[in-house]
Amino acid sequence: MTDDKVTIEVDGKTLEARKGQMLIEVTDANDIYVPRFCYHEKLTVAANCRMCLVEVEKAPKPLPACATPVMEGMKVQTKSEYARNAQKSVMEFLLINHPLDCPICDQGGECELQDLAMGYGSDVSRYQEKKRVVQDKNIGPLVQTEMTRCIHCTRCVRFGEEIAGLRELGATGRSEYMEIGTYVEKSMVSELSGNVIDVCPVGALTSKPFRFSARTWEMSQQSGIAPHDGLGSNIHFHIKQDVVKRVVPAQNESINEVWISDRDRFSYEGLYSEQRLSSPMVKQDGKWKPVDWSVAFDMVSNNLKESVSADPKSIAALVSPSSSTEEAFLLQKIVRGLGSHNIDHRIHQGDFSDQENDPVYPWLGQDIAEIENLDAALLIGANPRKQQPLLNLRLRKAALKGAAISALNSIEYDFNYQLANNIVVSPLAMVGELAAILKALAEKTGKNQDLPGFINKIEINSTHRAIADQLVSVKTTSVLAGNAFSSHPEYSSLRFLASKIAELSSSTFGFLGEFANETGCWLTGAVPHRMVAGQHSAQIGLNAISMFENPLKTYLLFNIDPLCDTWNGSLAMNSLEQAESVIAFSAFRTPSLDKVATVYLPISIYAENEGSLINVQGTSQSFASCVSPQGEARPGWKVLRVLANHLQLEKFEYEDVTGLNKEVNDLIGNVSPNNKAQYREAVLNKPSDNAVARVTDTCMNSLDVLVRHAESLQQTQDISDGKVHLNQTLANKIGLENGASVLIEQSESSLNLDYAIDNRLPENTILIHAAHPDTAGLGAWYENVSIRKA
Amino acid sequence: MQKIQQYFQSLLLWELVKGLQLTGKYLFKRKITIQYPEEKTPMSPRFRGLHALRRYPNGEERCIACKLCEAVCPAVAITIDSEQREDGTRRTTRYDIDLTKCIFCGFCEESCPVDSIVETHVFEYHGEQRGDLLMNKQKLLANGDKYEKQIAEAREKDSLYR
Amino acid sequence: MTQETKQLSEHAREEIDSWIKKYPEDQKQSAILAALREVQHENKGYLTPELMDAVAEYLDMPKIAVYEIASFYSMLETTKVGKHSISICTNISCMLSGSDEIVEYTEKKLGIKTGESTADGKFFLKQEEECLAACCGGPMMMVDHVYYENLTPEKIDKILDELD
Repeated sequence: MTDDKVTIEVDGKTLEARKGQMLIEVTDANDIYVPRFCYHEKLTVAANCRMCLVEVEKAPKPLPACATPVMEGMKVQTKSEYARNAQKSVMEFLLINHPLDCPICDQGGECELQDLAMGYGSDVSRYQEKKRVVQDKNIGPLVQTEMTRCIHCTRCVRFGEEIAGLRELGATGRSEYMEIGTYVEKSMVSELSGNVIDVCPVGALTSKPFRFSARTWEMSQQSGIAPHDGLGSNIHFHIKQDVVKRVVPAQNESINEVWISDRDRFSYEGLYSEQRLSSPMVKQDGKWKPVDWSVAFDMVSNNLKESVSADPKSIAALVSPSSSTEEAFLLQKIVRGLGSHNIDHRIHQGDFSDQENDPVYPWLGQDIAEIENLDAALLIGANPRKQQPLLNLRLRKAALKGAAISALNSIEYDFNYQLANNIVVSPLAMVGELAAILKALAEKTGKNQDLPGFINKIEINSTHRAIADQLVSVKTTSVLAGNAFSSHPEYSSLRFLASKIAELSSSTFGFLGEFANETGCWLTGAVPHRMVAGQHSAQIGLNAISMFENPLKTYLLFNIDPLCDTWNGSLAMNSLEQAESVIAFSAFRTPSLDKVATVYLPISIYAENEGSLINVQGTSQSFASCVSPQGEARPGWKVLRVLANHLQLEKFEYEDVTGLNKEVNDLIGNVSPNNKAQYREAVLNKPSDNAVARVTDTCMNSLDVLVRHAESLQQTQDISDGKVHLNQTLANKIGLENGASVLIEQSESSLNLDYAIDNRLPENTILIHAAHPDTAGLGAWYENVSIRKA
Repeated sequence: MQKIQQYFQSLLLWELVKGLQLTGKYLFKRKITIQYPEEKTPMSPRFRGLHALRRYPNGEERCIACKLCEAVCPAVAITIDSEQREDGTRRTTRYDIDLTKCIFCGFCEESCPVDSIVETHVFEYHGEQRGDLLMNKQKLLANGDKYEKQIAEAREKDSLYR
Repeated sequence: MTQETKQLSEHAREEIDSWIKKYPEDQKQSAILAALREVQHENKGYLTPELMDAVAEYLDMPKIAVYEIASFYSMLETTKVGKHSISICTNISCMLSGSDEIVEYTEKKLGIKTGESTADGKFFLKQEEECLAACCGGPMMMVDHVYYENLTPEKIDKILDELD
């Protein structure tokens, strides 16, 4: 036996445990149940519910199993009369103030208190006095409170402090007047706030959108994959009568542990939006008319055949990177089958100039779980807290363990851990800043071969040196590129520099990934310059921007809202308006599609869909359809397969999604990613003085078409607001006062917009949120703009 | 000897007399036949007849959509949908009982925490079409309103034994 | 200095700084009780959410943590109360020496119940939960941090009438 092991005896069984382990961990590991409320595997020990009292030999009183470290030779009884009595007494106390409202409580049926009251409660309460009543608080659109039911386990408080990194709930008052709440009336803003619903052992915190709509025993549980970030968090759908009633996390320690973000939890509401498309539609004389599938297919295949006979290259397809691998694969197979290579999924990318050197697919550079072991990291153009919330949890864990995490951004994002260094510069200065870090690193390591020529002219300061020092002085380091990195107009230069920094500091180089299935889209060849499994294509088609530069004849839009989902909404809309036919495979009717599309083909989405998603670490996770599609909608792969048959394309005889999935997996099975390719050397563009630069940020709850239709999420703060954001200095400079609006001119259009003061922005920079119909028509995401008081 | 006895007994219509004797005896006894439908048998307060949904005296429906009756129903005859009403309370949007499935076991009544779903003393109902036996929330509430007096009385009487 | 910490007066900040110095550098939050006491004193005996936010910002703590502390300790008031805080001890020694009558008399005199403030905002009759540790002189009370012992109704009149 090694030194760090001890032997204890529980209920007569001899168990081996690690020294310092808490008793409850040992009993849990050995299937001995000890009742508990406040103890949670992922949270610190509070020992305030006292439900886990057990009898320990030679101890003068019962001890709480969650806060009692094991000791050699300890003899524990968890079910002796002594222990039972202690547990029953605690239960009696807990029930004193707990209301008897189980019949109207949403937790009823899955309530830990209800379950344990069955085992440890008595039939009749001896308590005759008045019960305490606590006023409910409104803490936002997602979490419903019923604070009279609270048993003060403080799991939610500890969750906020330890996991979410944002203490929003607290226990105010004391003794009988103790209440859990926010004290002042305010909404929870944490991107993980929904998890308090799961940790709450009683019905004090429940889901607001779900409220009273079903009971737990009526619903069936089915597995799914959350499609809103590159992680692919595992979830469970709870379904009643073919309707998704709610979403809860499924445990997967290598991806999402036991948590999910609010976006993943509440996006299911989008499935039941009124804007869902329920049957194929065609536009006749400017009016939309529902038609049969066969009519729609005939029309679409005729359109495509016409275009092919004129010029196959007049066909272009844009597929959403949230689509399943199978859908992306089939769509590119159709487009290539028709003789075109114009297919892309990189809807948020603005610079394609170095695409020939692209890796097979940009990946995280490591496993998701490894992020928490980093000793230092440099985040570039990243806001992981809002954009990859569960990956951010790992980063936070690393930071709390002492990792030096630095960030380089154009917006001073709110991190829920201490950053070692935080550089916030105008997007025009990003390349220069990154080059400065590289230079500092080269000076530090002495490796200064193959550096771009302009680097000599770069000035470096102490922050750059500090970042360089931190990256080389510790063992496990990573350079992580976020969403604003990939959508930056000088992406190629940034990528070269970031990869060089990673190389010189022996760090991994990773992309955090914005959408659920970017990897799948890359691997299946849904890009104009690569075939399946990343093979270089002889012909290079048009990319997500160039396909709109000159209007083509036919466009296929798969799960895309052309105005809100593209890097340059006005450019896309312009070309689509001039196109002969625009075929929209969509789950929703959106105003912009209504305007430009000629045919709507309804596809199923999310819980209705089937297929697989490949996450940023390259793990393919398949999901089955859990509810029937709305109306006439069908899974995207089926629609594409039938369309291919109508087009008389060969090798489209797929019977089911498993067969299709197998073919795709056989094709892409052996691809291993590598982000550290030889990239084209960076160039430094001198920023013009006094130019006001626009940056664009995609808000968490406006990311894709499904979350944009989820009602409750649209009531949170993390949505696009359609305003111009600028800092106070700039506002003063152009003389803005209260209530005024701003005239903003970009190269292609100008708009009159409301403004908001946002002091997170650097000098001469304005922020406009992506995916807002009012501002998406303004043009490119990053550009110099002129701005004045309207 | 026995044969002679039999002979005289049949000759003197002895059996007839014996029969009439019984008839005569009952002719003067208290009458117990009930002239249904003019007359009805007494009923236990626990009689389980047609279902009804009750209201509180202020007119508010009692049902809180806890769905315990739905869960306990052995014949799966009850279907409930619920939602949050505008005033924030938990209410049903649908409360159906399929009387063709119902076995009148009374479990729904027993499980109800607010005495909302009850079985009345009405048993002589009929439907002309199959659909008439599918009760919905309106019909059940109407039953409750109509028979409230009787329902309340029955519960009052039974309360001593609970 | 942020917008929030501007709520604190210069004197309050000096006072808080002197307390911060008594603790290790990374344990700034240890000064919270002293800080709240000082801020409450300057704000005529009670704390507002804005002031608590300012303290939170100043000591680099989550706001809710400050609310928790302020609502936990009975010597910190989180709602508007009268200018002079009167706490009459009702623990066992004082109770045996007749604190009940003293409380009753004071309530009647001020026209308020324990826990309330007078309408003119002058007096606040605090609910005192714990023994004030002057058992030898019970019944006793504390008015604005000053102890008055062996109380009688006449004494109460005198003490309260002398306050401005």
